[in-house]
Amino acid sequence: MVIRRTAAVLGILALALAACGGGGGSSAGASAGASSGGGGGESDCTVAVSWNNYQEERWALRDEPAIKAALDEAGAEYLSADAGSSEEQQATDVENLLSQGANVLIILAQNTETILPSVEAAIDQGVPVIAYDRLIESPDSLYISFDNVRVGEMQAEAVLEVVDSGNFVIIKGNGADANSDFLRQGYTNVGVPDVGENSDTITIVGETYTDNWDPALAQTEMEQFLTENDNDVDAVLSENDGMAGGVVAALEAQGLAGQVPVSGQDGDIAALNRVALGTQTVDVWKDARELGRAAGEAAVALCEDSDLASVPDTQEFESPGGNTLTSILLEPIAITQDNLDVVLDADWITEEELCQGVESGTVDVCP
Amino acid sequence: MADASTASGGAAREAPRGLRQLPQSAGELIRAADVDTRLLGLVAALAIIWIGFNIATGGSFLTARNLWNLSVQSASIAIMATGMVLVIVSRNIDLSVGSMLGFIGYTMAMAQTVWLPQTLGLGLGHPAIWILTVVLGLVLGLLIGLIQGLVIAYAFIPSFIVTLGGLLVWRGLIFQYAQGQTIAPLDTTFRLLGGGPQGSLGEWGSWAVGIVATVVVVAGLVLLRRRQAKYGFQVRPIWATVLLAAFAALVILGAVWVANAYPWPENLANQYAQQHGIEIPPGGYIIPTGIAYPVLIMIAVAIVMTHIAERRRFGRNVYAIGGNPQAAELSGINTKRAIMWVFGLMGLLAGVSAIVQTARLNAAVTGLGVTNELDVISAAVIGGTSFSGGIGTIPGAVLGAVVMQSLRSGMVQMRVDSPTQDIIVGIVLVAAVGFDAWLRRRTT
Repeated sequence: MVIRRTAAVLGILALALAACGGGGGSSAGASAGASSGGGGGESDCTVAVSWNNYQEERWALRDEPAIKAALDEAGAEYLSADAGSSEEQQATDVENLLSQGANVLIILAQNTETILPSVEAAIDQGVPVIAYDRLIESPDSLYISFDNVRVGEMQAEAVLEVVDSGNFVIIKGNGADANSDFLRQGYTNVGVPDVGENSDTITIVGETYTDNWDPALAQTEMEQFLTENDNDVDAVLSENDGMAGGVVAALEAQGLAGQVPVSGQDGDIAALNRVALGTQTVDVWKDARELGRAAGEAAVALCEDSDLASVPDTQEFESPGGNTLTSILLEPIAITQDNLDVVLDADWITEEELCQGVESGTVDVCP
Repeated sequence: MADASTASGGAAREAPRGLRQLPQSAGELIRAADVDTRLLGLVAALAIIWIGFNIATGGSFLTARNLWNLSVQSASIAIMATGMVLVIVSRNIDLSVGSMLGFIGYTMAMAQTVWLPQTLGLGLGHPAIWILTVVLGLVLGLLIGLIQGLVIAYAFIPSFIVTLGGLLVWRGLIFQYAQGQTIAPLDTTFRLLGGGPQGSLGEWGSWAVGIVATVVVVAGLVLLRRRQAKYGFQVRPIWATVLLAAFAALVILGAVWVANAYPWPENLANQYAQQHGIEIPPGGYIIPTGIAYPVLIMIAVAIVMTHIAERRRFGRNVYAIGGNPQAAELSGINTKRAIMWVFGLMGLLAGVSAIVQTARLNAAVTGLGVTNELDVISAAVIGGTSFSGGIGTIPGAVLGAVVMQSLRSGMVQMRVDSPTQDIIVGIVLVAAVGFDAWLRRRTT
């Protein structure tokens, strides 16, 4: 299906190129990349999604199908555009989606500040906006996400349960992403010293942001911290699974994998496998399908009645920017070796993937 | 060249100064030793950086462990930089190396975790998997590079555009594969190619490599002397050859010594001792790590690429094309074919780096190799490769990569945040090129 769509687009481009060839006219840089999902009959509810960067592990695999399923159930139309990690492109995308007749807009914001004018434009046109997974500082948007501070708390709790004192390393995500600081806030909430501080029992021997949550960079950072401290590191708080992979690779090279607790989040297949193997302590799992379904259902509800208060199961959320937002906050689940059956039962991962390389008898769910 | 010499017919002609007359100044010493001053400058810059960071970090920079880390961390960029030299020398550019690397790495990860074990039914951990995967990666790299080269050379589309397209296409294809899922863990044998204590030569292997390399370098210098003498070229004074040989031996054996001075981490060494029934002595069981495989690969690539660039007709043609494309074409060089192969070679090297990077991370991720093209181009340029074409050396590019990684790694140790790191690396890049241009204007 993807291939057929690509072929179709290439065909159009070829025609456009042929047309240009004659006169040498300027080409219009239309790059909305929108695609209609069902293609069926007329519907009075069209929901548009503006992805900030579709080329990341989860969006296509988990979130989009769940949103689509919820919309299909209600007979609503689906539109989407991908901004490819660009703020400007996302502003253009929102304009295009609005002009294509979106009734409700779901935005995964690249930047929580620069998206504001686009959000205001949509709301002025009477199109309600759902801030998906990432906060948008607008009191008129509906914020649907997992509680990221809670994710941080869960990561730190699981690690502190194994080691509650000593030298800690903290590998944070992108500095420009508010989630990095939400997660860090969660660490502080459960007893990890704040940035730049140490407590009586815990010394932070290394703390850094990691550009683009890059796993290879996290590996280099971890190697550096291990070198500086002569391997005297007792625990690592890594904010996500990708970087945890880099951290574990660095620990493995020092024969420390499995001895030093490491945290993560996202439910990556490779990370859950590491939990089963014992090289990663905890993977805080946010079932993206739940999030997608919640957003899809909320969007359908907003099609009927654009008042945010009409959406069921909402709560108030005080944002860091001082706004009171209407929000739906889902509770994440901390996955450790003790409850791996949760991800298996949810069909998130197959037993084969989960148990690859796991010695029999070490983990209950692996034969 | 034809200076009078005291030697009788057939013997080597000495440079102006005789054997006993040693040089009076450093400048004279360098001139007489006939070494590349630009390379010498780079070595000096590296020495300043290393010593500076060592002082700034209170002596934690110049440790065996950190230098060992540095060598492994530089390997992937250095490997690609050797290819980028030829690309830039031929007055082209390749912006797609990072995306190519990601695409090849991803394909290799799929091959060793899914296609070979499951589809072909070899089963996980089969000893042939890593070899087949490596071959696949290299062939794929070469093919991709040749395709881009073909379009550049024969369709007359500027390399900037073609490889900019490649940057987007290969990155996009990664995503098409598996919805951007992380693929891990990889084949256990394959992983050794990424380094780590097990992925290293060990004590005696490293010494063997070091000694062979020393013998080859010394023999090479002697042979070069003989050949130059035979054809009546000016040769270095004897003392300069001896000095050069001694210096080379010192660097090579010193590097081996440093690599061996970094012992296996205690845990791994103890595990090894237990598995092999060795009693652990009171001071702990010490296993020297030695040269890591990625570094060995990097050195091998640098030697082969230097040979290609300086001794093979293909390499000389590339320099001729870069120096003056019209003249090269008129003198009968098949410029199109040469350009195509330059990009083929670049693709092949991206394949080599893809092996090193995925093996080191023990995973293939969608972001693999992102912005590597900038690091690779910077390394080549800091190493003295000129964008006006025709000028650039392979050892320079390797040193350039080490300089870049040293800066990054030292700044991380000094707790410099990543935006400030970018600013400093950016300034260094421009300053290095500016200095190089200034030197060139002065000397010509």
